Amino acid sequence: MKENHTPPAWVDRLLEELAPADLAEEIKGDLRELFFKAVNDKGVRAAKRRYVFNGLGFLVKRFFWKNDPYNNPNQFMMLSSYFTMARRSLLFYKGNTIINTLGLVTGIASALVILTVIRYELSFDTFHSNSDRIYRVVRVTGTDLTISERSECRTGISYPVPDALKSEIPSLEKITSMEYVGGAQVDVPDGSGAIVRKFREERGCAMVEPSFFTIFDFKNTGFKWISGNPEKALTEPFTVVLTRTLAKKYFPDGNVLGMTLRFEKSFDCKVTGIIEDLPPNTDFPFTILVSYASLRSLADDRFTQKRKNWYGVNDEHQSYVVLAPGLSTQEMEKQIAKVHAAHTEKELYESRHYLLQKLSDIHFDARFGDFNGRTISRQTILSLEFIALFLLLTGCINYINLATAQSTMRSKEIGLRKVMGSNPRNLVAQLMTETFVVVLIAGVVALGLAELLLPHLQSLLNVTLTHYLFTDPFILLSLLAIIVLVTLLSGFYPSLIMSRFNPVTALKNKFTTEAIAGISLRKVLVVAQFTITQILVVGTFIVVSQMKFFDSMDMGFNKNAIITIPVPGRDPESLKVLEDQLRAEAFVSGVTFSSTLPSGLNRDRSSTDIGRPEAASMKDYQIFEYQAVDPSYLEVYQIKLLAGRNLTMQDSSGNILINKTLAKNLQLGSPEQAIGMQLKMGEKVTVVGVIDDFYSNSFKESVDNMALVINAKRYRNVSIKLNLQGDQGSLMDAVRRIEKIWTARYPDSIFDYQFFDENIKAFYAQEQKYAQLFQLFSLVFLLIGCLGLYGLITFVVNRKSKEVAIRKVLGATLANVLMLFSKEYVQLIILSFVLAVPIAYYAVDSWLSNFSHHIELNGWLFVVPGILVLLIALIVVGAKSAKAASRNPVESLRTE
Amino acid sequence: MSSRIYLGELEELILLLVALYDNEAYGVLLTEELQKQAGRVISISAAHAVLHRLEEKGFVRSHMGGASAERGGRRKRLFCITALGRKAVEELRDIRNQIWSMLVKTAPS
Repeated sequence: MKENHTPPAWVDRLLEELAPADLAEEIKGDLRELFFKAVNDKGVRAAKRRYVFNGLGFLVKRFFWKNDPYNNPNQFMMLSSYFTMARRSLLFYKGNTIINTLGLVTGIASALVILTVIRYELSFDTFHSNSDRIYRVVRVTGTDLTISERSECRTGISYPVPDALKSEIPSLEKITSMEYVGGAQVDVPDGSGAIVRKFREERGCAMVEPSFFTIFDFKNTGFKWISGNPEKALTEPFTVVLTRTLAKKYFPDGNVLGMTLRFEKSFDCKVTGIIEDLPPNTDFPFTILVSYASLRSLADDRFTQKRKNWYGVNDEHQSYVVLAPGLSTQEMEKQIAKVHAAHTEKELYESRHYLLQKLSDIHFDARFGDFNGRTISRQTILSLEFIALFLLLTGCINYINLATAQSTMRSKEIGLRKVMGSNPRNLVAQLMTETFVVVLIAGVVALGLAELLLPHLQSLLNVTLTHYLFTDPFILLSLLAIIVLVTLLSGFYPSLIMSRFNPVTALKNKFTTEAIAGISLRKVLVVAQFTITQILVVGTFIVVSQMKFFDSMDMGFNKNAIITIPVPGRDPESLKVLEDQLRAEAFVSGVTFSSTLPSGLNRDRSSTDIGRPEAASMKDYQIFEYQAVDPSYLEVYQIKLLAGRNLTMQDSSGNILINKTLAKNLQLGSPEQAIGMQLKMGEKVTVVGVIDDFYSNSFKESVDNMALVINAKRYRNVSIKLNLQGDQGSLMDAVRRIEKIWTARYPDSIFDYQFFDENIKAFYAQEQKYAQLFQLFSLVFLLIGCLGLYGLITFVVNRKSKEVAIRKVLGATLANVLMLFSKEYVQLIILSFVLAVPIAYYAVDSWLSNFSHHIELNGWLFVVPGILVLLIALIVVGAKSAKAASRNPVESLRTE
Repeated sequence: MSSRIYLGELEELILLLVALYDNEAYGVLLTEELQKQAGRVISISAAHAVLHRLEEKGFVRSHMGGASAERGGRRKRLFCITALGRKAVEELRDIRNQIWSMLVKTAPS
């Protein structure tokens, strides 16, 4: 026998790695026996080959992988022991466990809520089959084809445009047009034509083509036709399709198809279909879909291909196209420009461009807006993501801080474990299990908490949720990922530190707080945590100040105690009667009629252009908004007249009032010089007066050019100034009185009043929500941060109880002890403040620059919230240390 | 005892060989014997697998022992048949004999 032949060692090693010791031994024995026999019979090479072959043969046998039937301890047993020990130690350090869990629960719950919101916002209109090829035709007024800062971005396109595009661009796959109708009055007549019920639909009414549903198919959203023929329901004029909710609202008895609805008291539509309610995450939130053919019948002349029709636009009239796959937007935009140029004059097609906006951008581009009246910028989504991330991070930081601090208390336990044979790997597994248990509990609680909170936060967050979080696989998977990530992030460092303890030192309990390497990291983490918190608190403070500023700034008119109502008829006599009746009431101090309101959301705007008499080309003209008013307008809204005279009813529409900005932009000189100037606005007009600027927009924008004219035929709103003295009853009584007068005057119209100041406030609804969200988030951050501080200080106080006692015995006062504990934290928080200020400055500065009127940043806006945070932290630290400081020193010294 | 004994053909052969080499049987020996007696070649891992199965079913018992130089000083797992195992092979033999006797009676030749 040749002894020097050995079988391949790697096979042995492989078997040793994979099999329990006993099994490996017998297998290797058998293999070797066979090997030596084979060496004798067949030679070394064949023997080696057989050795490998035989050895690997075991790997495909099932018994080989069964967990050692003989006597090795079970791996799962060890795992279950980890869990048992985790339970014990978590119960033993109850305080820490609770603080850790609370911190993580807050962090994870907020992250889940934010995740839900982001997912909701990103899901808008992603479900249509060809959503990546759908574009909205938008109107951009500017010097060239690209959108720059100066171009005016609008959505409306002239009525003849869609027809021309359809017939003249063969490569256009599909096009559908629609017109949104805000504030429609919908009446339900009975069989004889008498109105039985009246409704005013502020939102949801739209005129759409039948092709609407072929482009926007709402796939997999549960959308379907409940009744009616999808192909034919919207082809005829004066037909209407209702969503299920609206059908039920108008016809509670269930008989809907074939019934009639009267719109705007002027035309009747037959119900030809019922559809399922559209999902909440669409920017086409339609509930009443009138056929587009009705619009053609009502305003036939607007659709003809006459040149002048290519000028007029209505921003609620929009078109959507589907591009063929592979066709670039630039190419299509060029073709559209060609069609536009063929139908219009140079001055129009050189300044106005029809461009394409991706469907997936509509929800995120505030420049063009959408039918929901709500967009969210990608920046906002990004900052939400960051906040979620930071919230999770601060939770982790708390855990790391407390766990490393706690490790000194557990040094004996760790030391003993090591002496008993634990290797570092076991210890890490043990401590990670503990972390995992805490994070898992926190995750589950957080899911429940998020579920409970979301319904209350829906209006604040602007989301409409249709299903529960814990049945949503995406959320569950994210939660799982969060749990794993947080476990690793927060468990790794503390367990590493602890598993590295030298058992002898650990058992002697020689560690002090400072002796652990974790202390410096802990300081870093506290600073990081408070830096984030301070940034948010400072941000909140400034956002809230800005909101206050909006509210208090003079808009150039008086917005208080004014009720506005849209008037149905424009017959001057009838309006005069209404005016007289209103003025007869003691609480009414002024009444004025106008085509629109001076400012506020959802008001009609009519614009045109005006120029000096010598104006020749397009750029010599100024675009301005004109409002038809009556002589009391200035008085009711307290708009200042700078020069000239007010308008009277005798003025023709050739006499106008212009605002200061328009006078300046037309270079008319001082207000006094502008009086009597002749201007070109279609025909010639004369300036009779100059009014002070007032904000027809929000403060986010600047003042527009504005002109007022007398035109009794265009009155659409009545504004009533109330002057309530002590004995004239409440505001609601006044509204009720006005309603009575109103219904007597206009029995078939709906009394739809609005407080003007609330309308102005609605300008800032989005900012208001941000402000509230900011407040909420900074509160959460502060909460988590303070929880962490509380845990840390509790620990430090416990460790130093003897030191405190001795100090007290030697004559230290309460203040001395408080100083001892707070000094370090004050330093850390001041440091984090210093770090936070530049970041916060950068962030708020760029936010404020969105508004043309904003507060000036000054030091106080940063220092005040900084001091606030410091105070809160000091209260947390102080409360705990004061308790320790007031303890009887004997008690802590007596026990050893 | 259970009225059914599930023993594969290979299992039965190996069980019989374990009975033959009681307390001496182990993987290498059994594969060699199997080749000698029945002319069947099986891999060593297959033999181990069968032995494991038999042990799970309670037909054989094992202990470690018998290190030798040719095994590189490693012990072998030695198998012996249990009472249950013996009963099982006996029962199988009886069933076969019974069927065979009937076959002989009815056979034409």
